[in-house]
Amino acid sequence: MKLMNALMSPVGRKVLTGATGIGLVAFVIAHMIGNLTYLSPDVNAYNAYAYKLMSLGWLFYTIEILLALCFLLHAVVGISIQVRRRKARPVGYKFYKSAGAPGKSGYSARSMIFTGIILLGFLILHLNSFKYGPGVAEGYTVELAGIGEVRDLRRLMTEKFQEPLYAFGYPLVMILLGMHMRHGVWSALQSLGVMSRRLSPYLYTTAAILGVLVAVGFLFVPLYIYFGV
Amino acid sequence: MIINLRIWRQEGPDSPGKLADYTVREASEHMSFLELLDVLNEQLLADGDDPVEFDSDCREGICGSCGLMVAGIAHGPQKRTAVCQLHMRSFKDGDTITVEPFRAHAFPVIRDLVVDRSAFDRIIAAHGYVSVTTGSAPDANAIPIPKDAAEEAMDYAACIGCGACVAACPNGSASLFTAAKIAHLAQLPQGQVEASQRVMAMVDQMDVEGFGDCSNYTECEAVCPKGISVDGIASMRRAYMKGVLSG
Amino acid sequence: MTISASDLSHSSRLNAKVPAGRLQEKWDAYKNSVSLVSPANKRSHRILVVGSGLAGASAAATLAGLGYKVTCFCIQDSARRAHSIAAQGGINAAKNYPNDGDTVWRLFYDTIKGGDYRSREANVYRLAQVSNNIIDQAVAQGVPFAREYGGVLSNRSFGGAQVSRTFYARGQTGQQLLLGAYQALSHQIAAGRVTMLPRREMIDLVVDNGRTQGLITRNLITGELERYAGDAVLLCTGGYGNAYYLSTNAKNSNVTAAWRCYKRGAFFANPCYTQIHPTCIPVSGEYQSKLTLMSESLRNDGRVWVPKDPEDMRAPEMIPEDGRDYYLERRYPSFGNLVPRDVASRAAKKECDAGRGVGDTRLAVYLDFADSIRRLGEQTIRERYGNLFEMYERITGDNPYKTPMRIYPAVHYTMGGLWVDYELQSTVPGLFVLGEANFSDHGANRLGASALMQGLADGYFVIPYTLGAYLAGTRQSDQVSTTNGAFAAVEEEAGTRIDRILNNDGDKSPIQFHRELGRLLWDHVGMARDRTGLESSIHAIENLREEFWERVRVPGTADRYNKNLEFAGRVADFIELGSLMARDALRREESCGGHFREEYQTPEGEAARNDEAFADVAAWEHTDGDPALHLEQLSFENVHLSKRSYK
Repeated sequence: MKLMNALMSPVGRKVLTGATGIGLVAFVIAHMIGNLTYLSPDVNAYNAYAYKLMSLGWLFYTIEILLALCFLLHAVVGISIQVRRRKARPVGYKFYKSAGAPGKSGYSARSMIFTGIILLGFLILHLNSFKYGPGVAEGYTVELAGIGEVRDLRRLMTEKFQEPLYAFGYPLVMILLGMHMRHGVWSALQSLGVMSRRLSPYLYTTAAILGVLVAVGFLFVPLYIYFGV
Repeated sequence: MIINLRIWRQEGPDSPGKLADYTVREASEHMSFLELLDVLNEQLLADGDDPVEFDSDCREGICGSCGLMVAGIAHGPQKRTAVCQLHMRSFKDGDTITVEPFRAHAFPVIRDLVVDRSAFDRIIAAHGYVSVTTGSAPDANAIPIPKDAAEEAMDYAACIGCGACVAACPNGSASLFTAAKIAHLAQLPQGQVEASQRVMAMVDQMDVEGFGDCSNYTECEAVCPKGISVDGIASMRRAYMKGVLSG
Repeated sequence: MTISASDLSHSSRLNAKVPAGRLQEKWDAYKNSVSLVSPANKRSHRILVVGSGLAGASAAATLAGLGYKVTCFCIQDSARRAHSIAAQGGINAAKNYPNDGDTVWRLFYDTIKGGDYRSREANVYRLAQVSNNIIDQAVAQGVPFAREYGGVLSNRSFGGAQVSRTFYARGQTGQQLLLGAYQALSHQIAAGRVTMLPRREMIDLVVDNGRTQGLITRNLITGELERYAGDAVLLCTGGYGNAYYLSTNAKNSNVTAAWRCYKRGAFFANPCYTQIHPTCIPVSGEYQSKLTLMSESLRNDGRVWVPKDPEDMRAPEMIPEDGRDYYLERRYPSFGNLVPRDVASRAAKKECDAGRGVGDTRLAVYLDFADSIRRLGEQTIRERYGNLFEMYERITGDNPYKTPMRIYPAVHYTMGGLWVDYELQSTVPGLFVLGEANFSDHGANRLGASALMQGLADGYFVIPYTLGAYLAGTRQSDQVSTTNGAFAAVEEEAGTRIDRILNNDGDKSPIQFHRELGRLLWDHVGMARDRTGLESSIHAIENLREEFWERVRVPGTADRYNKNLEFAGRVADFIELGSLMARDALRREESCGGHFREEYQTPEGEAARNDEAFADVAAWEHTDGDPALHLEQLSFENVHLSKRSYK
């Protein structure tokens, strides 16, 4: 009970968003690296990677459930913070300006709720297109040496990203994801109390680099497929 | 110089307010912003109008009484400067400047630009102190304190409690104010005895008062007249988690 | 003005109640014999503390900690904003941590000598005695004093002392000590033992059955007049420097509470003792609302000068050495730029009066760091004074690393105040006065870093004992409730005053009157005074008072936040006080400390004290006619009265 109260406190809410955010960042990075196997000279690398993940069995499902929880909590707390913001200032300013440095509220910081909601919508579409998209039953199969017949995700991906909407829509959302992470990563570290006088400048820069890397990492595959390089 | 002002006028907490336009023709670049308002008020008084009410006291940037949104920024455009020390040389002849009160649910408007910041006092009363009664103190040099710790404590202790952090925060959060006191006392052995109770009680009070959550925008640090660092907020969160975990 | 024998007929009413015995043992002897109030009885006493500065907050917190029921009032929106917060330099204590020979005796001696032998020995000795406890208390509260690398507290030296005994927290010592006291107060508020009422102005004292019964406040938000009854009232309302309109005091600092008490029978002592601080940023124009002090420490490395030729209009950097007059170094070769505050201030005035002032207004002198920068490097100067240089540039727009600062003296502190005895009790039983509001410890001149010491000594360590002596001796039956006629009558009077101000069909704002009063006082009751000027100012102030009530104009109503209404009431009281200041300055036919009479100076132009005729405290009693004078003779049994010399 005490823990629940603590988690619902202003600090607790931030710790929750931060901790779940870090979990999601880990997922996003893993996902990005997985996607990059598409570019491997071995055409089966991507499907083999996907198959290995699935064959983790209960561990895979545990991770999925945890991730789902992270998404849910992250979104719910994030939105509740936004709702409380209106309550905390019922009459807004007629004229308001950011004071600039040393403040860090650039576009990425101020658009967290928008990028967040778009990412949530995207996630649903994304799961629908891929995770719950056509599989073995629909004939998306491929024969892997030493394993047998598995789902041909690579084909699905290749098909999807030949459509301009996917090929350009995805990268666009990934740029938003990069922005979300640009503020999100350092903000999570700040919320978890990792920041200090010594570390802050480094971690703030690291967050920026990570944001760019993730966005760029995700851009590669769709554009590669569309332009058929 | 001539300065045009758009000032928030509001009769009382429950009345609606609105921006009203004024012009001060005899402004000087050597005036402070509050002296500009003084001149405007003398002008209004001579014309039989109600002067604009605002809080101010020491007028040297230390008491924290004054606090206005000037041109959209808490305490105005000059960094590390309370509005009483903001001088008109920061503006140009003919400028139009919007002046609003510090806005937050927890800072209700009393009249015009005057707001009630007693929520801050209640946050300090929640546990922003060391529980020591008069006369029970050991010799001042009994506990050595590393110079760096004393200096860092002083950095946070410099908070003047003006409320600019809340006013500038897009969420209306009081985290920087609360954290500054927690971080100040956390640096010192005298403050560490009650560190856990302190952080829990003060954070809870912040919530009770209806301040918003911190989204780490750090607008607060940018407007703080004393330049208090948001590192204090991280330190407050560490202390909070430590408090929760140690039961 | 002459003092007739009948004026002094009431002198016997000034009983300072100094305990018998050796100076060093008086306070202990007092504590050993004072009546105590039992814990159960403490809970039945309500103490009203007016003001939440160092004296008020420390007293309220301490008394509540002892078990008294305390109500504390402050004029600001929070107890943390009282003007003690603006003190920069530091706080003295006889800790002798640097092992440089300091003792309680030396702190006592320096303070009494610094005050030009116009304070009471026993009070000052007690102040020095409890000074050490203050530092202990503040450290325990978490006040982040400056420290050495070994972790022990750091000390620095300050004017008027040959030892390092000043503790400091950067340039914000007052702020940190006040926050310490405010936090202690908050602790007691949270415990329910203190009722804190901010945005209240005390506008009158209720006296009945020969004792203090309570007070009337105006709620500054709703405008309501409120009645509070208590067993004792502690007035901790600071000084009256704002009588001069321009001073380093905060905008809300005022004399009203003290003045109302004066009118209810509390004697006002030594009102002419005002301290003018030499290093303030000069006035830049008519609109100026307050003056900003630059720490005295600047004079350690800055050289004060004016051009030799009043017609020399060149920029300061362009004036060659032989065109400059380093007048402090010339006149005071051994102390040079480090002469005490009063001496430095008068010297600056003298130069400006002779037409050698600089800047647009010609009311400023240069404080030049060029030599120090050449000698020590800009970096060293930046480390020592960086924050002060920044503040100067923020206010004036000039960069003091490149061009000399312009400085001028400004009213800073008032040594005078309500008369109190050794127990800090005024001439009205049950009314105690603490901190700058009383007259007791600084004589005619206060040393740097002693104001914080006195405010906290009074609140933390003196009043908790002496209040008990009063309460133990009072009868509950003498106490009246707020429904009593005494309260009603005083409240009605207060209401009438307010109505009179609001209903006046005038044409001048309160600030205009305040500026005029300020100019009169600054010119005639300022750094240098003379009979003609003082006499003319008394008449001029009387005229101003009449004009005020005819022509003041305050818009709005009484039932809401109304800053001009607050100011108007305060200006009315300042005007009356101004007249008393001039009278007191006229009576004191000598020069001492902050009081300099042109007629009484040595051939070299230094202050000439007259110990035979004026080793006294002048305590003024309000009457329907001219105020009546009572004298408390000061007897010096432990120190030898010497002439202050800084040559």
